[in-house]
Amino acid sequence: MRRGVTILGLGLAAGLGVLWLSGGFAALQGQILDGQRQVQTALAGGVRAIKGGQPGAVWGLWGVCFAYGVLHAVGPGHGKLVIGGYGMGRRVPMARLAGLALASSLAQALVAVALVYGVVALLGLGRAEAEGLAEGVMAPAGLMMMAGVGLWLVWRGWQGLRAAWRAQGHDHPADHAHSHGAVCYSCGHAHGPSLEAVEQVTGWRDAVALVAGIALRPCSGALFLLVLTWQLGIAAAGIAGVFAMGLGTAVVTVAVAGLAVWAREGALASLPGQAAARVLPWFEVLAGAVVLVAALSLLGRAL
Amino acid sequence: MRKTLAALALAAGPALAHPHVFIDAAIEVVFNAEGQAEGVRVRWTYDELISLTFVTERGLDPDFDGVLTPAEIDSLSGFDMAWQPGFPGDTYSLLGDTALVLSPPEDWSAGYAGGMVSSTHFRRFAAPVDLGTAALVVQAYDPGYYTSYSVVDAKIVGRQGCTVELFEPDRAAADQILQDALAEYSGTDGAETDFPAVGSAYAEEARVTCGAG
Repeated sequence: MRRGVTILGLGLAAGLGVLWLSGGFAALQGQILDGQRQVQTALAGGVRAIKGGQPGAVWGLWGVCFAYGVLHAVGPGHGKLVIGGYGMGRRVPMARLAGLALASSLAQALVAVALVYGVVALLGLGRAEAEGLAEGVMAPAGLMMMAGVGLWLVWRGWQGLRAAWRAQGHDHPADHAHSHGAVCYSCGHAHGPSLEAVEQVTGWRDAVALVAGIALRPCSGALFLLVLTWQLGIAAAGIAGVFAMGLGTAVVTVAVAGLAVWAREGALASLPGQAAARVLPWFEVLAGAVVLVAALSLLGRAL
Repeated sequence: MRKTLAALALAAGPALAHPHVFIDAAIEVVFNAEGQAEGVRVRWTYDELISLTFVTERGLDPDFDGVLTPAEIDSLSGFDMAWQPGFPGDTYSLLGDTALVLSPPEDWSAGYAGGMVSSTHFRRFAAPVDLGTAALVVQAYDPGYYTSYSVVDAKIVGRQGCTVELFEPDRAAADQILQDALAEYSGTDGAETDFPAVGSAYAEEARVTCGAG
């Protein structure tokens, strides 16, 4: 039963993937775009309401900010790719990945606040400079970090594969791993890396790279709101609003984290015994390659 | 492998962007006395948030009544016209399938109503265009998808007997064009730099056709 539920996660993720590739989300995309537009208008209305002294206006703005975060996160974005890729590639526990997703969303808000108040308030530069810095320096830095995460996954997966091949002691065709499980039951411990060895979480460096890869790319909407509220003398409402955006974004990235872990465990659970340990490096290589290619592609556009 | 990666990279680009500025574009195709299309007048109306940002950072409309003095409107004029060299201006035009060259912006103005900043500018065709039986297409899109354009209105100025229609992108069809382009692309050799231009398939556009004469 439990295994069935776990495998269902794989099916769900695969289904969503197929739907996305076949353009099944096209209609949804249009609706998301309309929603983003409406929330953008509501955001301006929220700022006006605060300036107009309407009671409860601050809470209204924060509510809109939260919705803005959710709506911008359900659209395509780099954060979900990094979290999802890492979750598919590494055997990271769900709670930890969800925590990283939340941390990166809030860190993204923090980066926006630090950027705007550092550049605009302290250095006295304008919004254009803050945006230029965000787009020209920080976004590429974040993308390089993201590419690094992808490369790191590919490299670790590759190491895992090589270790497995060496342990096997004979030439092993690359695409063979998944079909080999049953045969190898008798081959003993030394045959491949144990799940524990593969699962070994690499700790804080991964976490930092992951969070930085996402957070260093502040959302333009957050920058707009921060500059605007600072100029209008309602800075605190704007800063809190940007963190509300971060929480909204986190709702989606945490869900992606959950789905990624669910799908990965589903795939592993559907494999017999030791096969899981040998397939896992392939997950890592593939997920890393996707993250890497996406990061390089975005970097190519950004530079 | 390299091809596959390039194709993946191409697909990942648009799929990973989402817009932060929303603009309603209104298009006028302007004809000369000879019945040739001379150029395109474009009106951009910015969304409330970016408008509020523009106005606030210039210290305009401090009482939020949505009204600017003529002097304030003058000071706004040209605020979005300092284009970097090579910026194509998010307006694209085609005669049939052939891309037309548009001049840098000229003759601009700005306005402010209902909390929304707007601006107009004119883009001239490199040479006046005889439409013949072909359709003149004007598209509004940002290839980087930072700005999301909706074409809300299109008009013909200076010629009778032409019709103009607005088209929304058929997203499913656009996705298909992207896939076809990718399939074709991965089948060709030595075309690494020659990415298919599929961004326009996602654009909203105005299509002008004129009867004979």
